[in-house]
Amino acid sequence: MLEIHGLCKSFGGKPALGDVSFKVGRGEIHGLLGHNGAGKSTTLGIILGMVMPDAGDVSIAGVSVLTNRSKALRKVGAIFESPAFYDYLSGWENLRILMSYSAGFDSRAARETVELVGLSKRIHSKVRTYSHGMRQRLALAQALLPEPELLLLDEPTDGLDPEGIKWFRDFILCLRDERGMTVLFNSHLLAEVELMCDRVSILRQGRRVFEGSVGGLHDDDLLFEAELDPWDKAAPLIRAAGGEIPQPGRIRLPQGSDPAQLVESFVRSGVRVRALAPVRRSLEDFYMELLDGAGSPN
Amino acid sequence: MLFLQQLRGELRKLFARPRTWMGYGAFFLMEALILFVYKLERSQRHMRDLVERNGLEFGTYYSSLTITFTIMLLSMFILGSIYFALVAGDIVAKENEDGNLRMVFARPVSRLRLLLVKYTAVALYTFSFVFFVGISGYLMAVAAVGREGGLFVMEPKMKVFSAFPDWWEGAARLALSAAGIGLSMITLSSIAFMFSCFKIKPAAATIITLTILFVDMILQGFPFFKPYESWFVTWRMSAWVFLMEQHISWAKIVEAYAFLGGLNITLFVLGWLAFQTRDFKT
Repeated sequence: MLEIHGLCKSFGGKPALGDVSFKVGRGEIHGLLGHNGAGKSTTLGIILGMVMPDAGDVSIAGVSVLTNRSKALRKVGAIFESPAFYDYLSGWENLRILMSYSAGFDSRAARETVELVGLSKRIHSKVRTYSHGMRQRLALAQALLPEPELLLLDEPTDGLDPEGIKWFRDFILCLRDERGMTVLFNSHLLAEVELMCDRVSILRQGRRVFEGSVGGLHDDDLLFEAELDPWDKAAPLIRAAGGEIPQPGRIRLPQGSDPAQLVESFVRSGVRVRALAPVRRSLEDFYMELLDGAGSPN
Repeated sequence: MLFLQQLRGELRKLFARPRTWMGYGAFFLMEALILFVYKLERSQRHMRDLVERNGLEFGTYYSSLTITFTIMLLSMFILGSIYFALVAGDIVAKENEDGNLRMVFARPVSRLRLLLVKYTAVALYTFSFVFFVGISGYLMAVAAVGREGGLFVMEPKMKVFSAFPDWWEGAARLALSAAGIGLSMITLSSIAFMFSCFKIKPAAATIITLTILFVDMILQGFPFFKPYESWFVTWRMSAWVFLMEQHISWAKIVEAYAFLGGLNITLFVLGWLAFQTRDFKT
């Protein structure tokens, strides 16, 4: 659905993106992660044609944004952090104006969408009277009105209360499940990405350092939680197998090693193995490892 | 059809903002002030001298049409230019500053199309504003001195001196001149619009525009520049006064408005090029 190939961009000679490529499949929720200044917003800007890349291309459903922006964005909706509406107009008038720049305003479709995002009661009030959560709902409405196949979310849950965040997450998941919508979710809220996304791309200093499925991040095949008795007898066996004890109660084995062989050696040496289980890693652990340069699975 | 929807939205935004109405309020007050001055005996005596010295009858030309002409002549270039520069200087730059543009950029609309819509809205605002000043000034003048009377025109700088004793002819000339002022002022709005497309603050676009206008006006007044006066924008913008000549010389008017039209297109293209090549970060 979305294909990003070899994007490079610098601002005033300072590189912001260097050869960034990744793909987002149809119906997938893809997280774009990175610290501040990693290039997430620049990537999003290029996808929307707001920023011109120095090199590379972006295509949406096979149509290049750089050469045919209008056609490429026809079925795209976007939500930004702190969406800037015309505060002196009502939510309804904002939708009317924004939709005039897409396929035109359809009041029936607008009413349905406003109902869907739960803003019916206040849609004719001035936007300046809206809370942050209501603005995000209006942002969602304007993004959904062109019936998008691809939804771009730029830190949409920033500033929302926990209830608002949950509502937003459930809503996006529902859109994916019911409408098969593809979503690119740009965030630094790792827990949100973990709960919502199927795959993630991680940017670091303008370069993509990881692309893969969120599920695959959880199991670190080489790190184990172990209950051994006695540990001082087990430690030389672990080191003999090429492993290490990164912290008490944990064993890390080298690539390609078989934990069953280690267990066998424990048993042979009279070490009691009460438990040995692979460690489930959170996205945060993985992200921090990547950014610290502690490991790069890519 | 979609263009009209977009234009409607642009005009809705324009007229929903309080600063758009500031100009209307200011002109209303100024018209009331000019009328008050016209009602003063000393002012009437001065006008009587002027009219009668030219062999005309004061009673015919001390009229609502003449007062309306004076209001437009005195106020449009100085006071009007401030509001046109303010509105046109805001139209792109303010939306960029407020972050509204990125919401629009998430739509499948080209930057050229977006600018065309905004430019059309600015041109309509400018043109209609001049007519507002003309009509409101006339209605206030009618309330003060009555409907009857002709039109007396004296503009020494452009060497135009005319008298239209018939109300209908005077009114037609006044309407024609309002259209001329409207077209002239679109050039001022075009300058502000161009700067608004650059990466600058809206206030800077307004101030630079007014600076250009006033510098042009000041230099044009220098005797040294007399032979080159037709190259000054403000001189060309004053061409509407020729519509008040007893016998209109259309060649002069067409030449001036062709110059201004070409300038408007150039300013729009420069603004568009600057806008087109800019990055708008989210």
